[in-house]
Amino acid sequence: MKTFALGQILAVIRLELGKTFFARRGLWIYLLALAPVVLFLGHSIYAPREQQRLARLAAAHPVPAKALNSIQTGMSRQEVLKDLGRPYFQRTWRHRRGPRRFREHVFYAYTDGRSDFHFFFADGRLRFIRRDDPDTLAKLSVIFATVFQYYYLRLAVFFGCVGVFINLFRGEMLDKSLHFYLLTPVRREVLTVGKYLAGLLATMVIFTASTALQIAAMLWEFGHGAVGSYLAGGGWGQIGAYLGITALACVGYGSVFLAAGLLFRNPIIPAAAVLIWESANLFLPPTLKHLSLIFYLQSLCPVVAAPAGNLPRLLTLLISAAQPASHAAALACVLVFSLAVVAVSCLRARTLEISYGTD
Amino acid sequence: MSDTAITFDNVSRFYGEVLGVNRITLSLSPGITSLVGPNGSGKTTLMNLMTGLVRPTCGEIRVLGVKPTEPAKLFRLVGYATQFDSFPKGLTGFEFIYSFLRLFGSSSAESARLSAQAIAQVGMTEAANRKVAGYSKGMRQRIKLAQAIAHNPRVLVLDEPLNGLDPLVRIETIDLFRKYASEGRHVIVSSHILHEVEAISDQVILLNSGYVVAEGQIHGVRSEIQERPYEILVRCSRPSELASKAFELDHVVEAQLLADGGGVLVKTRDADRLLRALNHLALGGIQIEGVAPADDNVNSVYDYLIGGEGATK
Repeated sequence: MKTFALGQILAVIRLELGKTFFARRGLWIYLLALAPVVLFLGHSIYAPREQQRLARLAAAHPVPAKALNSIQTGMSRQEVLKDLGRPYFQRTWRHRRGPRRFREHVFYAYTDGRSDFHFFFADGRLRFIRRDDPDTLAKLSVIFATVFQYYYLRLAVFFGCVGVFINLFRGEMLDKSLHFYLLTPVRREVLTVGKYLAGLLATMVIFTASTALQIAAMLWEFGHGAVGSYLAGGGWGQIGAYLGITALACVGYGSVFLAAGLLFRNPIIPAAAVLIWESANLFLPPTLKHLSLIFYLQSLCPVVAAPAGNLPRLLTLLISAAQPASHAAALACVLVFSLAVVAVSCLRARTLEISYGTD
Repeated sequence: MSDTAITFDNVSRFYGEVLGVNRITLSLSPGITSLVGPNGSGKTTLMNLMTGLVRPTCGEIRVLGVKPTEPAKLFRLVGYATQFDSFPKGLTGFEFIYSFLRLFGSSSAESARLSAQAIAQVGMTEAANRKVAGYSKGMRQRIKLAQAIAHNPRVLVLDEPLNGLDPLVRIETIDLFRKYASEGRHVIVSSHILHEVEAISDQVILLNSGYVVAEGQIHGVRSEIQERPYEILVRCSRPSELASKAFELDHVVEAQLLADGGGVLVKTRDADRLLRALNHLALGGIQIEGVAPADDNVNSVYDYLIGGEGATK
């Protein structure tokens, strides 16, 4: 009996996979998944060119790194010019502050051939220094972690799962083709599990492939030596963790949107509610944080992202910190939750009726 | 509970406050059964109920002893071609039937063989490898029928199966229904085309506004309508004389001479007594050339029971 049900599940998966992978209306899911790949690839192409440009500028305008590092805010423009010489680029502009009052702004750019230094002067005094150091794997790991946790999981995987899993049942109701499944000797629970696994397979392939490509694109700008030592120093573990978290996100969000497609006539409304809840997770009190999938997914991430840097100061005040869940607890919570939601979906599928006219 | 019949026991189905069917109690035996009724009479609801696509609000249904809530058992016995004219996207006719046959647990080779066989039965072999999306309405009807029969079911449920078929295919399809019925299977058909229903049905179920208003063989149903006189067409040599003699019979309520002068339309409350009386009249010298019931058909029964507005003649 179990073998027979397994055969039926495989038959459902075969039917669903073609529709999921090659559906014209699912094209946007690929775009969503590939967007960060393009981002990291673009950066990998840009970064070495930028290094070459800085090296050329340093040759034309040599400045010792030690002198650059000694510059402090509050210094006068003359002091900076005395210590560093002429910048490789400069710009001056005036800002009106009253009927006859102007404030003079000056921008100087220097480089030691590796880092790019931008000095911003106002009224002759150095007010702000911006320093762009060359990429290191440690720096890019944090950038990757931030993109992964705040764009990829929260938006790309989330909406990808919305597109795939909601359509497993609701899409076929709208197409008026669900009845073909319901007229076969397949138990509704088996059908639900088969469809869920088909959606899972599709989203896992699309999104874990994207994660792998993002990592490959990120590492592309570094030499074999740097990449080799990164991989040997725990890099493989990080890559494995990111792939696993991506798959786990598909498991969790997939179960939620499978259920939404079965339980709601307009599943976009519950999907929007889940999106708001997951997005607000950063600001939720610690206890409520435990009621969101993203909390457990972030707990599993190997590198901590620092989102607060780019947020308005008022919002950073609202961020509440919570101790991340242990890896075992996070994994168990996502899996148990997903199983429970799939079970609810199976129960709903047992009483599912075909009433296309009202859908 | 019979394992050879399809039974409805006091089945009702409401869609919110809208009545689908109400208090249906039926027992359908093998053969061709036609569900007849105007739009909204409950034909499709009845078919959806027996295949589990909708559930009864109350009552119990058994299809050859199996509940519609047990799809794993039910759809080994039942094939259903619905009225929905939509298909999974991107599939050819063959792939459509083959893919769903795999859900029955058949091997790839067996599914391919059954698919080809079903497609051949509906005369679609040449178009089998074309996308269903490019099929004409009639071809889509036939591929749906092929899908319903592909697993060789004992019960075939077909919602308006003759819609969109050209006359030749229509005849072939009706022959297929007859073949299935002659093998002791159930063929349950809904249709608006009454003369076809009459030609193919062993049993009719007349529905109106969610109620069964009559069921049984066409002639049996007709004979149950006691309050309406039978109309019998008599072709004879001396129609005026026959009309006047017929009027002398107490069960005859009307006798009309036909416009062509070749016979009489007699309305009687007792067809058997009239037929016996015609024998006497024939012995008396009136040459009877033919006797035929003029209203012993589905159209008439339908008109009597439901009213003319729903009938499609």
